[in-house]
Amino acid sequence: MIILASLIVMAISVYDYYSPETGLIGTGGVETTAVAGLLMLLASLTLALKPNRGRFLQGFLIVSILLDILLSSVAGYFLESPVIMAAEAVALIGWLVNVIGDAADRSIETDEVEDED
Amino acid sequence: MKTEKKLILAALGFTAAAAAALLSFSATAQNGLAGGSDSQTWDAFGGNQQAQKYSTATQITPDNAKNLKKAWELHTGDVGSGAHYTTWGATPLFVNNTVYVGTPFYKIFAVEPDTGKTKWVYDSGALGKSQNQGLKNRGVAYWAAAAPAAGQSCQKMVYIGTMQGELHGVDADTGKPCAGFGKNGVVDVNAWLTTNSKWKIGLIQPPAVYKDTLILGWAGDDWTLKTENPGTVYGIDARTGALKWTFNIIPPDQLNNTGTANVWAGISVDPETGLAFLPVSSPSPNYYGGDRLKEMPYVTATVAVKAETGEVVWARQLVHHDIWDVDINSAPTLLDIDKNGQKIPALIQATKMGFLFVLNRNTGEPVYPIVEKPVPASDVPGEVASRTQPYVATPRPTIPDTSPPVSMLADITSFGQCSRWKARLRDEGRYTPPSIKGSIAWPATVGGVEWGGGAVDPTTNTYVVNSDHVPQVYTLIPRAEADKLYGDKLRGAGGYAAQAGSAYGFKLENFLNIWGMPCWEPPYGTLLSYDMNTGKLNWEKPFGQVQKYGFYMPESWGSVTIGAPVITKSGVVFIGASMDSRVRAVDLKTGNVLWKHIVDAPAVAQPAVYTYKGRQYVVFAAGGNGILTPRLSDQLVAFALPN
Repeated sequence: MIILASLIVMAISVYDYYSPETGLIGTGGVETTAVAGLLMLLASLTLALKPNRGRFLQGFLIVSILLDILLSSVAGYFLESPVIMAAEAVALIGWLVNVIGDAADRSIETDEVEDED
Repeated sequence: MKTEKKLILAALGFTAAAAAALLSFSATAQNGLAGGSDSQTWDAFGGNQQAQKYSTATQITPDNAKNLKKAWELHTGDVGSGAHYTTWGATPLFVNNTVYVGTPFYKIFAVEPDTGKTKWVYDSGALGKSQNQGLKNRGVAYWAAAAPAAGQSCQKMVYIGTMQGELHGVDADTGKPCAGFGKNGVVDVNAWLTTNSKWKIGLIQPPAVYKDTLILGWAGDDWTLKTENPGTVYGIDARTGALKWTFNIIPPDQLNNTGTANVWAGISVDPETGLAFLPVSSPSPNYYGGDRLKEMPYVTATVAVKAETGEVVWARQLVHHDIWDVDINSAPTLLDIDKNGQKIPALIQATKMGFLFVLNRNTGEPVYPIVEKPVPASDVPGEVASRTQPYVATPRPTIPDTSPPVSMLADITSFGQCSRWKARLRDEGRYTPPSIKGSIAWPATVGGVEWGGGAVDPTTNTYVVNSDHVPQVYTLIPRAEADKLYGDKLRGAGGYAAQAGSAYGFKLENFLNIWGMPCWEPPYGTLLSYDMNTGKLNWEKPFGQVQKYGFYMPESWGSVTIGAPVITKSGVVFIGASMDSRVRAVDLKTGNVLWKHIVDAPAVAQPAVYTYKGRQYVVFAAGGNGILTPRLSDQLVAFALPN
């Protein structure tokens, strides 16, 4: 979901940047959201493709993505871009699913370790 | 929602830089005043020669305005940046079943009113010539012979001026130059200005038309030299281009002390009396008047002249000894006021000062009282500011008498820069004179009301006008110091203008903090409605939105605006003007926004409203103006209800 949201944010930002009818043509605001979308894409791909990451990297990526989502949502609000805001809402759901799922996985792993003891 | 935005802004310390761009904005002549145009044409810059900006069209109403859609658009290709930077504040005309618009590359486009397809284009060829005042245009003028000669061309003509002082006249049906107008369709107006001519005059504003006479002013440069081209207005034969009369604004004995005081904004005409009303700008040098202390009664004034002779009928000076560059900058709007059961032929002169002077247009006497009030004295050696200035209480001025307080947000985010700066400046409200230590100019050269002026519904005398709230900082620099800092440059960094030949250079600064945020509390611009029969304010609303880096600021902040409203009989106000490149329909009764649409750049003139083949159109030239935002365009766009 985060990957999908980041792709949507990048796509709409590029569209806004080059389309006069959006009122955002050539603006720094959509340049920012495009870059934020790209960073979110890279972070979420890392989460997906590197399952054996360390605890520090895990925390860094989770916090970075959350910050990206929040700041991009604010940017979308001030850019008056409902698509960006909707995409960030999707990303937030994806983030929650990831965090909750990850916590559940770790809990099971801990239980298994305790069982082995 | 608005509060949320403010909180989020504060929390994030957004460097809104809101008004970084604050630098530095017919009825046929035979129609009477009361009803505007019945034919629903738009045959002059101000909608009609009375500058009412009013249409009798009723198809678009407050109820259905939300359904407006783009009907057509045209890109003229005439937009540029850098050396060819354009300023396009044109209002299209609709007359002769054609939409006519001038461009900043000095072309005339004749366009089909229902499709936007080009009928013909006239290219003046002026683009390649030197541009001492940049590429600017506010449209074209239209004239039709009262008794057209059968089978002859040029019985209907369209005129466009250039920034080289040329006035071109072409046939309205074909776009071909009218050979009988000047020399092969071109009148060299610049050649008529033989005294103290320092540069070519700019014919940015199309002429007014009365019968067979064109009434033409010009734009100039009044910051750089003490002695500039002296202000003149010309009466020109509409058919031949021959000079009929010249109105010299500056007294002959002052020509070596000053210049400009020209008419660069629109001119309105009363078709019944044949009077033309001239908004006269400030004299040079704009910010120091020690060399021009003698009274000049037509300067920074509204002057009524006979349209066919140029003879002055009356004049009313609205700023004495102007040292703030508060030009009288918009065509007076003509209306007949019903006051205490009496019908008064009147005009409304909107101003940069935010005062709305309502005068009897036949006599110049005030309809609502004008009071001379004491104002601050100058502390600059050599300068003698006027002891009093004219004030009006009714209608309520569009801006308050004192400058807005320092913005807490801008002050906190700049660690107190705004409040410290303001504490160092002279700030005594209106007409605080420029000073060596720096003064808050309120209102400043931006205004107040910009050159679009207001619109009136002549059936109810409801008047609508947009106004800016922009303090700026004026600093005089003694000549020796100015020469040391800037040498012989006429313009320099930091808003410097030489005022060469006078005792002081001048610096204009925007009152912004280090992040580019305005140091004063919003709103930055409002839209106001008045009942001109009583002078009472109906409503005032923040208008438009500041947009910076694409981010829209809260609606409650409003926007600095350049451009003007129009009113329709059905009670809809149409206006672009704002920094956010949106055009809007507003409910005349309430001031609420009914509809808005993004266009390619700010629409910095009033739109045209017309009805063609039973369909009402609203057409904006979305050209932009670098004073507002860097976004420029060549888009001419029409809106209408779906078929």
